Amino acid sequence: MAQSPSKSLVMSDAASLRLRLGGWLGQGLLFLVTSLSTFAVFFIFYFIFKDAVPFFKLEGTREFFTSTRWYPSGHPPEFGALPIMVGTGLVTLGAVVVAVPLGIAAAVCLSDLLPFRMRQVVKPVIEILAAIPSVAYGFFALVVFATVLQNHGGSVLSIGAWLVLGPVFFLLVMVAGDLLLDRLKHMLPKPRLAGAVIFPALGILAFLVLRQIAARLAGIEISSGTNALNVSIILGIMALPTVVSVSEDALQAAGRELREGSYALGATRAETLVKAVIPASISGILAAVILGVMRAIGETMVVWMASGNAARIPEPWYNVLQPVRTLTATIAGDMGEADHVTGSARFHVLFAMAACLLAFSFAMNLASELIVKRSRKKLGK
Amino acid sequence: MNDDITLRRFDQFAEHNDSAQEAETHIEAREFSLFYGNFEAVRKVSLQVPKRMVTAMIGPSGCGKSTLLRSINRMNDLIPSTHASGQMIFDGHNIYGRNIDVVTLRSRVGMVFQKPNVFPKSIFDNVAYGPRLQGVKNRQQLGEIVETSLRQAAIWDEVKDRLNTNALGMSGGQQQRLCIARALAIKPEILLMDEPTSALDPKATAKIEDLIGELREAYTIIIVTHNMQQAARVSDLTAFMYEGVLVEFGNTKQLFTNPDNPQTENYITGRFG
Amino acid sequence: MRLGTRKLLDKAFSGLGLMAIALMAMALVLILTPIIWRGSKAYLFKGTIEHRRVMLEQFGRGDAKAFNRETRQAAEARAPVYRMLEEFEAEMKAMDRTVRRNYKDAYGEVEEALHVLLGPRPGKRTPVLLRQQYGQTRWDRTMVKLHEVLYATEWDYSTPGAMGVQIEKPRVDQFRGTRLEPLFDYLPAHIDEMMRPRTTFYWRFITDTSKDSHIFGGIWPEVLGTIYLTLGAMLFAVPMGVIAAVYLCEYAKEGRIISFLRICISTLAGVPSIVFGLFGLAFFLNTIHVSDSKSVLAGSLTLSLLVLPTIIRSSEEAILAVPRSYKEAAFGLGAGRWRTVLTVILPAALPGILTGIVISMGRAAGETAPIIFTAAVSVGMPLKLWETMNQPTPALPWNIYNLCTEHEAVDEIRHVQYGMVLTLVALVLLLNLAAITMRARIAKKLRG
Ligand SMILES: Nc1ncnc2c1ncn2[C@@H]1O[C@H](COP(=O)(O)OP(=O)(O)OP(=O)(O)O)[C@@H](O)[C@H]1O
Ligand SMILES: [Mg+2]
Repeated sequence: MAQSPSKSLVMSDAASLRLRLGGWLGQGLLFLVTSLSTFAVFFIFYFIFKDAVPFFKLEGTREFFTSTRWYPSGHPPEFGALPIMVGTGLVTLGAVVVAVPLGIAAAVCLSDLLPFRMRQVVKPVIEILAAIPSVAYGFFALVVFATVLQNHGGSVLSIGAWLVLGPVFFLLVMVAGDLLLDRLKHMLPKPRLAGAVIFPALGILAFLVLRQIAARLAGIEISSGTNALNVSIILGIMALPTVVSVSEDALQAAGRELREGSYALGATRAETLVKAVIPASISGILAAVILGVMRAIGETMVVWMASGNAARIPEPWYNVLQPVRTLTATIAGDMGEADHVTGSARFHVLFAMAACLLAFSFAMNLASELIVKRSRKKLGK
Repeated sequence: MNDDITLRRFDQFAEHNDSAQEAETHIEAREFSLFYGNFEAVRKVSLQVPKRMVTAMIGPSGCGKSTLLRSINRMNDLIPSTHASGQMIFDGHNIYGRNIDVVTLRSRVGMVFQKPNVFPKSIFDNVAYGPRLQGVKNRQQLGEIVETSLRQAAIWDEVKDRLNTNALGMSGGQQQRLCIARALAIKPEILLMDEPTSALDPKATAKIEDLIGELREAYTIIIVTHNMQQAARVSDLTAFMYEGVLVEFGNTKQLFTNPDNPQTENYITGRFG
Repeated sequence: MRLGTRKLLDKAFSGLGLMAIALMAMALVLILTPIIWRGSKAYLFKGTIEHRRVMLEQFGRGDAKAFNRETRQAAEARAPVYRMLEEFEAEMKAMDRTVRRNYKDAYGEVEEALHVLLGPRPGKRTPVLLRQQYGQTRWDRTMVKLHEVLYATEWDYSTPGAMGVQIEKPRVDQFRGTRLEPLFDYLPAHIDEMMRPRTTFYWRFITDTSKDSHIFGGIWPEVLGTIYLTLGAMLFAVPMGVIAAVYLCEYAKEGRIISFLRICISTLAGVPSIVFGLFGLAFFLNTIHVSDSKSVLAGSLTLSLLVLPTIIRSSEEAILAVPRSYKEAAFGLGAGRWRTVLTVILPAALPGILTGIVISMGRAAGETAPIIFTAAVSVGMPLKLWETMNQPTPALPWNIYNLCTEHEAVDEIRHVQYGMVLTLVALVLLLNLAAITMRARIAKKLRG
């Protein structure tokens, strides 16, 4: 148990200096590496904008943002990017329409409805959806989905309508019937009988309407399977995992007390969720939607492969059955040719598009950060 | 009336209790204060901890015991925005002075924490961690150090057959004794213990207390505890702190049976705290 | 509202949620099924004798003796076909010039279709293009090509105003009464003996180079290119990312600078992947010239930027999950900060960090947009390691795009496209599976 002669506690000045210097140096090095990796983002902004500015100098901004004529290789070339922006907007909107309701419903289901076991099964489904490479989605969209749409477009649309509108109509009938009953309660002698009449009547009405819609859709012929609808659906599926996982986190963060409080007041589960939990976590859900939008807008391969790449505004603008073209696909597709003419407007216009994308996603990102931060403050965390 | 109660409550005292005054001072605080930002958690404390004795620190929760203990090996450096004033003298130097080698300081002052905090490594690697830091590479030498440390910590017999299994698989009491062994392996002169038994059951606690009794032969031990019977059982000297101030410091038996300060008396008789 | 309705609504609401989950799962199944089913046929299919010929002649693989025996049998079965052709050619020669003209084009088509089906006619000069030197290697394609021999496709524009309709006419009708007529009965009856299909497990699909731009052979250059790009990206991203995470968690004091750095990282995470590609082109290639043209190096650098935020975040999470007490223990034993990080914190955080790395590997392997302008080419040989510094490479994601949109024989090589997609998806999902199991193991460890 002998203790070895102990080392002195005090270092020489030189050793101390060396130690401190070493510490500073090491830390400085770490800081350097860290900032290098984070300042990459500045590099990106700088180099994209650097090559974007010459385009605006050469061609001005007006044509780019307002003209609908996109003929970069014509004589003289025309750089109206409006149809491309509209196309981007259209497929993004489509993706949001697909991903947001589904995603939020799935998130609610995951956080509040499913038992733990089932959750363990569903989580991997989401992870796999998130992991599949975008080019595989694009391949599916082009080779499988586009063919199906082109050959059996009508039946696909009507099946989709049944699947999506059926449950919605069911809910609508329930709510409308109930409201109607409430209204008429005082006037009718036998409310119970009235219920037995009103609900089936509304149900049959809804069924007929739905059948009508489905029949209409079934009659549609899709001339090209590579169109905005195809891409929107696939982009929606790709954005789903983001929307689901971020909004599920938000819903979980709302906490148990809130739910218990609501249940204690006699609310059903649905009422608790719709009236208490979702409002409380609305900012997180909003952030989820924003991230989903970013995922859809920044996606390249799927739109490049399956959107049809036609640089014109659909007629009418919301006609998703027509081919469209997006910013990302234009960059990917045109750079191959434009690269040979480095320095021309044709080359720089692609950077101008990238700059638009970059600015937009930066704004979105900041917005979602702000929203999340503010909601965190509100929840007192 | 008070005396009766205290006497009955504290009837077990450490044996070598009375020799405290003669021992030489091992570590000394002079007007030592420690701040968290602006908050003075330890206020101008002066005390002399004698060599090869067990010194207990008691006091109500939040009174600064842990802070003072952690000041002795400068663990508070880890927390941003702390600073100290006054002096803490060890081996003739103020450890808060210039050019102090904190790493050497910490290898001469071992520490055991409230919750057992073994690394997720094998038992052997846990104990060998400190010696390896000090540059011991020879496997055989390491083995010897590990064995003696584990023996000292009275856990050798329980683990000698599974030195290479993960230490996280042991019971809480075993883990705590492993932590003690790990601290002993760096051959410290002083052993700081911050409520080492508060996370353990009575049996494991008794083992650790026995261990402390044995270790006092070779080490200066400072132990923080909430359990006053424990302080009485294991320590030679006791310090009572209250709101950052050292209220009373002296021979354990005397402090528990006949405290000078009414605050001390109130605390140990259970009027507050 | 009435209580009954409220309860019903409650049920309906749950139903909606479940339906959303079901739709999601359905989407996954719908997407994966064709990929897995048809992709597996790139590996496991009915190969004809022509497949074995390609293997033997192009890859030097297979039993030459057995193959020769088989060829003889196949040639026996094919002999009547060629005899019929010769007889008909003789017949044509004897014909009136005007009559002959009627047959000439149709016969040319038959001859060409037969060539595509069976390979070059014996005795004729070997064609230059590799794809013309062999018949159909796969039984499914054989059936398609057989159909093309038997039927001519024409467009029917008889209904004015409507789109033309494709119709098929049996060729046999064109040759009624000639010596060629029996051919159209003989072919379908004896196609088995002529092509000798056999179930083939072509696992070398993944390790064979491609011949004649993917008409024959496998996808090794693409696989290897993907591996290079992925590992290269990790080579840059992992040290940078882990160091940044260590700094952010262990050294940096929370403050303006750090929250600024964090904003930078999240912005980086939000940059669209195609913009990374443009940046790689503008910066790595056109500004600092890491290589003269596209190269694996430039692609890896670009990809590494793309996965950097993921690695930083997951490493940070892993490091923050290491209990504080480990750090205290190490400090208490006299370890310095640096030592503590290296010997205690990083080892304890390693599984979590690895999980993040593996997930980012999957991401890097599957990304296409960043490598379009920086690393990918459509056709190329497998690269040697040092060639990655200045040469571009084929890569699975890029070549999937390329083969299904720009290849001259898109329909002929569907199996290769599906095979590539399956390989890529399997690669990425395996990486993710590894990550999931790793995470499960960590969770278990943390629990007890
Ligand atoms: N990291 C910190 N930052 C700021 N204040 C702190 C910090 N740690 C402790 N304190 C404060 O310092 C005071 C003393 O704390 P300390 O942990 O030393 O008390 P203690 O006597 O050990 O209490 P306990 O018996 O509960 O362990 C307390 O008021 C506490 O709130
Ligand atoms: Mg304490």
